Amino acid sequence: MQSLLEHYARVDYYDEFTDDRGVPRPHYRQLAQTLAGIDWADFQHRVQVVNNVLLQRGVTFTVYADSRGTERILPFDLIPRIVSKDEWSPIKAGIAQRVRALNEFLRDVYGEQRILHDGKIPWQLIYSSRFFNREMIGIVPPHGVYIHVSGVDLIRGRDGTAYVLEDNLRTPSGISYVLENREVLKRSFPQLFEHYSPRPVDDYPRRLRDALRYSAPIGVSDPTIVLLTPGIYNSAYFEHTMLARRMGVELVEGPDLLVRDNVVYMKTTKGLTRVDVIYRRIDDDFLDPLYFRADSTLGVAGLMNAYRAGNVTVANAVGTGVADDKAVYPFVPAMIRYYLREEPILPNVPTYDCTDPLDRSYVLEHLDELVVKNTNQSGGYGMLMGPQSTGSERDKFAKAITDNPREFIAQPIIPLSCHPTVCGESIAPRHLDLRPFVLFGEDVDVPPAALTRVALTEGSLVVNSSQGGGSKDTWILED
Amino acid sequence: MLSRVAESMYWLSRNIERAETLARILDVNYNRTMDRSGANQAGTRRIWESVLEICGATVEVDLWDPEKIATNAFEFCTFSTENRTSILSCIRIARANALSVRAELSTEVWETINSLYLFVEAQSPRSIAREGPSSFLRSLRDTSQAFGGVVDATIMHDDEWNFLQVGRFAERAAMTTRIIRAQDVSDQSAHEWQRLLEMCCASEPFAKSQRLTSEPSEVLGFLFLHPSFPRSTRFCVHEVDNALHRLSETPKANFSNEAERMTGRLAAMLDFVQLDEILEEGSTRFATRVGERFDGVGAAIETAYFPRVPVM
Repeated sequence: MQSLLEHYARVDYYDEFTDDRGVPRPHYRQLAQTLAGIDWADFQHRVQVVNNVLLQRGVTFTVYADSRGTERILPFDLIPRIVSKDEWSPIKAGIAQRVRALNEFLRDVYGEQRILHDGKIPWQLIYSSRFFNREMIGIVPPHGVYIHVSGVDLIRGRDGTAYVLEDNLRTPSGISYVLENREVLKRSFPQLFEHYSPRPVDDYPRRLRDALRYSAPIGVSDPTIVLLTPGIYNSAYFEHTMLARRMGVELVEGPDLLVRDNVVYMKTTKGLTRVDVIYRRIDDDFLDPLYFRADSTLGVAGLMNAYRAGNVTVANAVGTGVADDKAVYPFVPAMIRYYLREEPILPNVPTYDCTDPLDRSYVLEHLDELVVKNTNQSGGYGMLMGPQSTGSERDKFAKAITDNPREFIAQPIIPLSCHPTVCGESIAPRHLDLRPFVLFGEDVDVPPAALTRVALTEGSLVVNSSQGGGSKDTWILED
Repeated sequence: MLSRVAESMYWLSRNIERAETLARILDVNYNRTMDRSGANQAGTRRIWESVLEICGATVEVDLWDPEKIATNAFEFCTFSTENRTSILSCIRIARANALSVRAELSTEVWETINSLYLFVEAQSPRSIAREGPSSFLRSLRDTSQAFGGVVDATIMHDDEWNFLQVGRFAERAAMTTRIIRAQDVSDQSAHEWQRLLEMCCASEPFAKSQRLTSEPSEVLGFLFLHPSFPRSTRFCVHEVDNALHRLSETPKANFSNEAERMTGRLAAMLDFVQLDEILEEGSTRFATRVGERFDGVGAAIETAYFPRVPVM
């Protein structure tokens, strides 16, 4: 019998599972023992079973680059990632702090703009942001909440420090994998859970629903909530159906809604029903063809008027993107100090601002060591990974940066932490990140439900599902 | 419920029902052409032409190699993607509709459809040729029938379920009627009528209901008018009528929209028509007339429940 982990060789990165001497960290000790008692052939068999279950259940995402719109399962790694109580506490406090500050920032930037007047953030940075939405100036959503749902990406560097990489304040996805992964792992591999009691994740939909209900226009006590999806071809469609089903709300597409006299209705078999809260999973640009992209068939004509009239809540609020513009990101620690008068609990990754001449020339000279990101793109698209790039790719980016410095930022490459992961015939270290979700209703709520994305290709630091990433069940231990 | 969801429910179950019926029709006829009755080329051709007619296919059979009519017709009705009513097309349409209403379906229903889809997508003319069509057609038929059971057992019997019922029975009524319409009534041989019964899944129920003789005309009466045989035209029309009345909460024998009025009228006609009258008119012509009424009912359901422009 060949035992798992027998040949696990840790590499020169922070390893979540083992310490510097190669010994499992205290919160992984039991798991290591359980894994040691499992036969490799049996393990391989379970991997097969799990993949079939996921396909059958249709836990899939759509890959855009593939013209046939192929549905794929997100590769699911059976070895869980464990977050100890001591690791989780600062994360929980840190991301809640950020979301509070970012929400204050949005209220300010679409209101008095004190932070700009006080010179903490440059005017031109905000006004040049593609995600700054002038229509929102003067609109205050119910209870002043803009960021009802966010998914903060955290990574851990070589010394074990956790950094915030991105705040994801628009329509973050991934929670369905958190729920499904737990479900599937419990069913297919119950013995892993011996000696552990990870905090349950399955009340996320209820908490989300509570937050959405609280966000309803003032005076509406029993709001009709809908989830607005772009439809079956969207990469996260599975997630939309799952959340709608578990929250018990209608899943609607743009053409199911219409606006009359600044009120949003949905078209039902018994006529029109008034809608109070729209949890939208489509971007601002597509929300309302009268205000934004006229060619959008995903949205609802007149929605912005209903929103401005205060007759409907849109969650997340329109225009939250300005707060997670990659070029605004470096100012989040300043926002925390400015609005909350607190020191940031979680650090940012150092970031070079390409509009700054000194930073820009540094970036251009060190393209082969940095990661360059386009501020208008996400999901691992429009990115240059310096060390893996070719000369012509670097030339292309150098030209683009010089032409449009506002559209790029650069960061040193953080060597993401590693974790044992099933790779074909063996278990090897692979890089991963962590995306906890933050809800904002009556108060900021951080459910113990986080997505771990893992880069399955050896040496790769890109964990996005569109770029060949997989996921792991993530156990957050009791606090 | 959303109009779009209602429409998808309707087409979802219509297409599953159609795939199931097609699978049975193909299985029956494939078996027929293997034995005596289909041994000659003319017989084979006639059988497959009637199958294509039932499927609503408009193909130039004359252009096909007479030797290959059976193979071509079989492929056309199973895996052709040009044929919008092939089994593959039906399952794809059903699954696309299921996907768009996935939030409303129970997990069990979704998984049944998804497995059916994965099963059909995994087949190819080659795999069918290897294992013989029967095992494929039977699994398909069984899973499609299981769909009905899973729906009944796991979905709340309210609006969503009622639209599934409307779709299922509207399709079934239409198919039974088309099968009868395609029947060559001049051929009075026993196995021709047996084939008709088998295509409607009626062979055993019919045998059970007939104590003395079994005149061919009795078969027509059974398939059109039997009050409790679950695939008779009359039974299915009543089920559609019941589901529509549950949806609108209108008392039976009244109507609140055109769909209910037309269905009720058709049900009444089938309740009171006599077999002699059908025979006098000619079963083909009668079936055609009933089929046209179905088309009207279908259009009226769309207007009532999923109009393109909603009424306030």
